[in-house]
Amino acid sequence: MSAVVENHDHHDHHGPQKGIWRWFTTTNHKDIGTLYLWFSFLAFLVGGAFAMGIRAELFEPGLQLMDPIRYNQLVTMHGLIMIFGGVMPAFVGLANWLIPMQIGAPDMALPRMNNLSFWLLPTAFAILMSTAFMEGGMPGFGWTFYAPLSTNYPNVAFFVFAVHIMGISSIMGSINVIVTIMNMRAPGMNLMKMPLFVWSWLITAYLLIAVMPVLAGAVTMLLMDAYFGTSFFDAAGGGDPVLFQHIFWFFGHPEVYIMILPAFGITSHIISTFSRKPLFGHSSMVYAMVSIAVLSFVVWAHHMFTVGMPLAAELFFMWATMLIAIPTGVKVFNWCATIFKGSITYETPMLFAIAFVVLFTIGGFSGLMLAITPADFQYHDTYFVVAHFHYVLVPGSVFSIMAAVYYWLPKWTGNMYDEKLGKLHFWLSFIGVNVTFFPQHFVGLAGMPRRYADYSLQFAEWNAVSSVGAFLFGLSQLLFLYIVLRTIFVGKKATSQVWEGADGLEWTVDSPAPYHSFETPPKING
Amino acid sequence: MAKGPFQNKIFLWLISAAGIMFFFSFLLVPLYNVFCEVTGLNGKIYGPSDFLKKETEVKEREVNIKFLSIVSGSAPVVFYPSTQNLTVITDNPKGTTYIAENKSNKRITVRIVPSVSPGLAADSVKKIQCFCLDGDIVLEPYEKQEWQLRFFIDSDLRKNVNDVYLSYTLFEKDREEIMVMKHEH
Repeated sequence: MSAVVENHDHHDHHGPQKGIWRWFTTTNHKDIGTLYLWFSFLAFLVGGAFAMGIRAELFEPGLQLMDPIRYNQLVTMHGLIMIFGGVMPAFVGLANWLIPMQIGAPDMALPRMNNLSFWLLPTAFAILMSTAFMEGGMPGFGWTFYAPLSTNYPNVAFFVFAVHIMGISSIMGSINVIVTIMNMRAPGMNLMKMPLFVWSWLITAYLLIAVMPVLAGAVTMLLMDAYFGTSFFDAAGGGDPVLFQHIFWFFGHPEVYIMILPAFGITSHIISTFSRKPLFGHSSMVYAMVSIAVLSFVVWAHHMFTVGMPLAAELFFMWATMLIAIPTGVKVFNWCATIFKGSITYETPMLFAIAFVVLFTIGGFSGLMLAITPADFQYHDTYFVVAHFHYVLVPGSVFSIMAAVYYWLPKWTGNMYDEKLGKLHFWLSFIGVNVTFFPQHFVGLAGMPRRYADYSLQFAEWNAVSSVGAFLFGLSQLLFLYIVLRTIFVGKKATSQVWEGADGLEWTVDSPAPYHSFETPPKING
Repeated sequence: MAKGPFQNKIFLWLISAAGIMFFFSFLLVPLYNVFCEVTGLNGKIYGPSDFLKKETEVKEREVNIKFLSIVSGSAPVVFYPSTQNLTVITDNPKGTTYIAENKSNKRITVRIVPSVSPGLAADSVKKIQCFCLDGDIVLEPYEKQEWQLRFFIDSDLRKNVNDVYLSYTLFEKDREEIMVMKHEH
């Protein structure tokens, strides 16, 4: 299976193709990983610009900058771009770069499919963004696209096809990850010896294959309701709008874990490296991730406590949701135990990883509060929910991605980033995130509802604070861009080990990692 | 030897798993409806009931019924209950009416979808006759119709439920352009 690149070249170590065409035709996992990462960074900036539009409107009560329809479009596109264009492709990019190097494989198992699954993504987003130039505009029904609101929306077909294409891209990416991990591990690397990032992606890929088709089914039904006269979700024809929510969240909740499991893997590597200790409880980490993944299929209705479910169902979904705190608690415990009595240094990746553990746990706790059914009737659709999921997604998933970039950037580029600037970026982001989202807990508990362009006067102060934080966080990401570019072009040379405490196959190859690594599989001893 | 992906067992497994999950999402639709019907959840009414006085020792009691009406979307129809509140005694049939008036010069086909709140009371609301069970109803231009509703509340209604909301949503299915002259003015 390693023979895929041999057909047109007779040199043993040929480099990349010259010119721009390289990026369209490449089947190299490192090139495709790079494409994914840059794409997700672009999406992160665009989605971030939309978020700043939202926060600018919410800086003070009243309608200042846009009408409510435009506001809803910004909210919707912010969610869609950040989830499907930012976080998910970033993790796929990291998977492409790291999984082959961490398991000692020369490339991904299905390199051409890998190329296709990347290039479908810009296609999907081009379709989605094209609605901005149409009459009726971008979708404005929220990223959850609840029917029948979405079925009556203009341009919904573009949204549906974009989601279909993104879904195909994700499914192909996941199949590639699983086939690679199952078939191409270096001799001697059994499943339990696999690095945790690889494990986290193996589980994530199975989740994606299970639920992305359900999302595709949901948008297909939506399309049929909107254009082909069916009534899946239209009560007039005998359908049921609540059914839409069940199907959507059956996809939606595993999706949430798809966006956090790879972060668990990344954090485990970084904390172990900078504590200079092997990770505490490697196999319990694996079992915890597997249990989180299994449980994610039986908790979906906690997003729907207020739709009028019977008591028995509310209790079941409440307890099932709370059960997830146990494997998650195991993971947080293991990270703390790894840090405990370690020889810790605080380089930028470690700062992001520690911030991840602390702030993700805060997001987890507010999640537990939301899981309490009677309390959820107060919190439902308030800014408390917004604060909760941004705490697990921004200082959760996004911080872990930034940590991963700082941690592996020397391996990718061969150069060290500037530690001072990295730390500055960390502190600006850390302060920005907390100033943005912590006050949203307060306004949420006080009753401020989500998804409105305007709000009543008593929420004005905290919203102003939140907006200031959002601009700080958003603008400091330009510093991140500067740091990465500076590393690529003028950084100091990095060693192949890069970090004193780093452990794993990817640190045995040169920095920058050669275009083809592990053409002969390494030997795993022990 | 290099094998194509279609000779790879894991690849084929995963592709079929994705396909199966796609169809599973459609299977959720009938599964959901069967589940609601079997368990009687979700405040849905599935058909007319016969009025049979059961020999039971359950005490009769008073229940407040509130009638709600909703017009979905922009149907040019005025739709409201003739009475908004009714106090009924359990197991005793009662009747009321809803009024619908077509305000346009088009022939409109509507369908009424009922809902009971609290959802757990839905099983105890027995409809003997309901316009919501009649399927499509045609309203001629400017026509006003009075629709019959006869029901009783079963005495097996949960003890803690004293108020039951019967809500009816009017959906427009079809609008037919027909030429009608209005000479009143």
